[in-house]
Amino acid sequence: MITSTDMQKAAEFIRKNVSADDFTLSINGSEDLLTRFAQNGITQHITGNKLNVNLSVSYDSKNGSASGNNLSKDSLKYLIKTASEMAKLNQPDPEFVRSEPAHILPEVDNFAQNTAEITVEEIVSNISLCVKNAESKNAKLSGISQKHIYDTFLATKSGFEGFDRSTQFSHSMTMKREGVETKVSRSVKDHGRFNMQGMIEKLNSQFDSLNNPVQINKGHIPVILRPAAVLNWLHYLIWTFDRRTADEGHTPFTDQIGKQFFGKDFTFRSRLDDPDLAASKFLGGGVPAENVDWIVNGVLKNMSATRYYAKQKNLKALRPYNIIVDGGDTAEEEMMKMVDRGVIINNFWYIRPTDRKTGEWTGLSRDGVLYFEDGKIQKSVTNFRWNEILHDATKRILAMGPSVQQEYYAKVPTLLIDDFNFVDVTTF
Amino acid sequence: MDFLSLAMDTAKSLGADYADIRIQKSYTEMIYLRNLSLKNTSLNEIYGYGIRVFKDGAWGFAHNNVFTTDEVNKTVKKAFAIAKESGRVKYDNGLVLAHERGYIDSYKTPYCVDPFGVPLSEKVELMMEVNKTMLNYAEIKLAVFMLECRKDEKLFASTLGSRLDIQTVYIEPTITATAVAEGDSQSRTYSHGGQAKGWEWIQGLNLTERAVQVAEEAILKVRADSLGAEERKTLLLDPNHMALTMHESVGHPTELDRVLGWEADFAGISFATPEKLGNYQYGSKIVNFVADNTLEGGIATAGYDDDGVPNQKWYIIKDGILNEYGNTRATAPLIGNKMSRGCNRATNYFDFPINRIPNLYLEPGKEKLSPAELIADTEDGVYIEGRGSFSIDQHRENFQFGGDMFWEIKNGKKVRPLKKILYKSNNPEFWNSVDAICDERFFQTFGVTNCGKGQPGQRGRMTHGGTLARFRDIRVGGSQ
Repeated sequence: MITSTDMQKAAEFIRKNVSADDFTLSINGSEDLLTRFAQNGITQHITGNKLNVNLSVSYDSKNGSASGNNLSKDSLKYLIKTASEMAKLNQPDPEFVRSEPAHILPEVDNFAQNTAEITVEEIVSNISLCVKNAESKNAKLSGISQKHIYDTFLATKSGFEGFDRSTQFSHSMTMKREGVETKVSRSVKDHGRFNMQGMIEKLNSQFDSLNNPVQINKGHIPVILRPAAVLNWLHYLIWTFDRRTADEGHTPFTDQIGKQFFGKDFTFRSRLDDPDLAASKFLGGGVPAENVDWIVNGVLKNMSATRYYAKQKNLKALRPYNIIVDGGDTAEEEMMKMVDRGVIINNFWYIRPTDRKTGEWTGLSRDGVLYFEDGKIQKSVTNFRWNEILHDATKRILAMGPSVQQEYYAKVPTLLIDDFNFVDVTTF
Repeated sequence: MDFLSLAMDTAKSLGADYADIRIQKSYTEMIYLRNLSLKNTSLNEIYGYGIRVFKDGAWGFAHNNVFTTDEVNKTVKKAFAIAKESGRVKYDNGLVLAHERGYIDSYKTPYCVDPFGVPLSEKVELMMEVNKTMLNYAEIKLAVFMLECRKDEKLFASTLGSRLDIQTVYIEPTITATAVAEGDSQSRTYSHGGQAKGWEWIQGLNLTERAVQVAEEAILKVRADSLGAEERKTLLLDPNHMALTMHESVGHPTELDRVLGWEADFAGISFATPEKLGNYQYGSKIVNFVADNTLEGGIATAGYDDDGVPNQKWYIIKDGILNEYGNTRATAPLIGNKMSRGCNRATNYFDFPINRIPNLYLEPGKEKLSPAELIADTEDGVYIEGRGSFSIDQHRENFQFGGDMFWEIKNGKKVRPLKKILYKSNNPEFWNSVDAICDERFFQTFGVTNCGKGQPGQRGRMTHGGTLARFRDIRVGGSQ
């Protein structure tokens, strides 16, 4: 794998050989091992190192960018030549911003030796364990187990230089037998904190709670969203969480900064110092990352902004680098007693915008749906399609479970939401 | 150094049952213009090789970008070692590859003007003109032009003796205008997706004229009404819109790897299971879906797939009946097929080839019928152009689609624009509701260059096509 010294040498070469007024060099490397399995057997097995070297140069405000996957001098010379020629032929960018100067960067801990040392034999043994569990239930198991070591390096003509090394291990598996199908997935930065046996038990628990689903009517129904569903939803909320597009009138967040736009129980932050979660030392272009409160008790505090837009509007250039949603202390059993009836959803699927301006999204349930009534689970039910204005749904949060780690970058709670808008039922 | 031969000789000496190497150099030029500001002007080059080794019914794949004898040999050994590890948890009693032979051949996308030979200044000048045209309208607050050009140069060799030299090219221009008025924001897009053509295609598109239409329709749309509550209606779907519906509701469910459950943990499975082959009424009798990886201008057309199987043409749905899948050498034998249809494709050198949708189109109607005649023959319905919101379940059965532009049809005429229209349907209801398809004079193709599938995710590409078609009795309404 390429080392940080190799990357610094490349930056030195670029500094000496680029004649442009400005440049930004970005190098991203990874060492990857991915083992994919389906129907109780391994179907795909990949190993290798990847590298992306991107050079952006500017003459006055004219930009050009070239990238490759090699750090040899010949390759770097090619990038300089290509990016420079593009910049010279280009038109001036009225939104040009000079590259970032040197910054003091926050300390983050994204690397775990435990993860870096996982071997292919261990991964295959774990998959074998999971498959044997599925076979004991006369079920079929499909999923992926993967380990990555990532290197991120950024250097600019204005003096910024930053490097970070991170690790990630993730395991995901879907168990299926006839009409019963459910999934668990988790990723961590430190494999030492990963409990495969616990994950198998969680899969078994979800699987055993399901049986062949029956259809119930669509409509406005209270829903308990388990953490995987909540995180899936948040990914899409964040997708539109941009200050400029809000200010330009394209999203529901127009003129909402500082206002109670979400439910009063909804708080979403990014934090550098959570010991379980990966964080970023620096954001795009070399802006130092910092702790950010995005939504506090339903009040919209901050939104993502590019370096250009932040400068124009006297804002900070920000983006969510990890996701922490504050939780509560209500157990799922308690939630079921708080409403007459409802459904428990393990995950969402295929979320897409239906109306960008109002913030309405559509999606489906996936990985098992349970119907409860009188405080108890009654039966498995078929999947639903929903069309919901997601920020409005946070105003209907009735209770929250504790915030739990779902992925290496996210902690979210289970949510009980009233009157979720289910507009269709599926055939399975 | 002949790295192709070296890799294959090393794989054979290790005892591989089958192996192949794909040396691939991919160039992507991206230009992204937003309100006259160039947000991205970049040329990306990715060069390396991927080696697949098949041993005792299991795969191993390793990739590298260092071209030395030592590194090529190491990469083969890594692929071989993890193939052996894969064999510890075999799929059934081990995979079997469909019969194939070796080929020595070459393929090149036919074009006149290499898009990578056109100066950046010429491209940017055109894009600026289009952007300015759209921004001339006061209501247009956002004008975007994205241009992507991609070229792939592949050398493929296999232990079957194949030696293939393949060069493919596509171009994809997309222009979007967004109007803001009356508290709403609505967009309109012009795009044919990616097309395997040279720059001469762009020169013939008259994009500045199209920009006028796009901007004016965005303004019409932002001021348009929506429909009320959902009700059953007739839909007229243009081929650009249908490119997306057929991709999601016919293309993906007939990928054999999904049918077999290989995507169960991620992209999902398929309702179109093998016992339905030859008897399942997928569509009405006039519905014929053709898979054609020999299609001129098609972006899955490459001479051969990444199994080294020649491109082919076949029916996925014939006279409305599910006829056959798209498959690969590893998936075809699992349902008793002796040969592969050649749908195994990887995006970059470091990607493992996966079962992909072929170029797939709805065959034009056999009776003479023009779009104007079809509209005139429709009393009450909604005409949908272009692609919008789309969402489909993981079995590819139940779905909801929007669109890019909507028109109300009354008494055989387009009477007013609409916005925020969604329709819900499922398989087999949707394709069985087709009662009219315009004829081949109006056939158009649309490329999809962003088909996300696989783990790690790959961006696949294929072309879809068709003519204006009519669907009866579909649930249509405003959003919510």
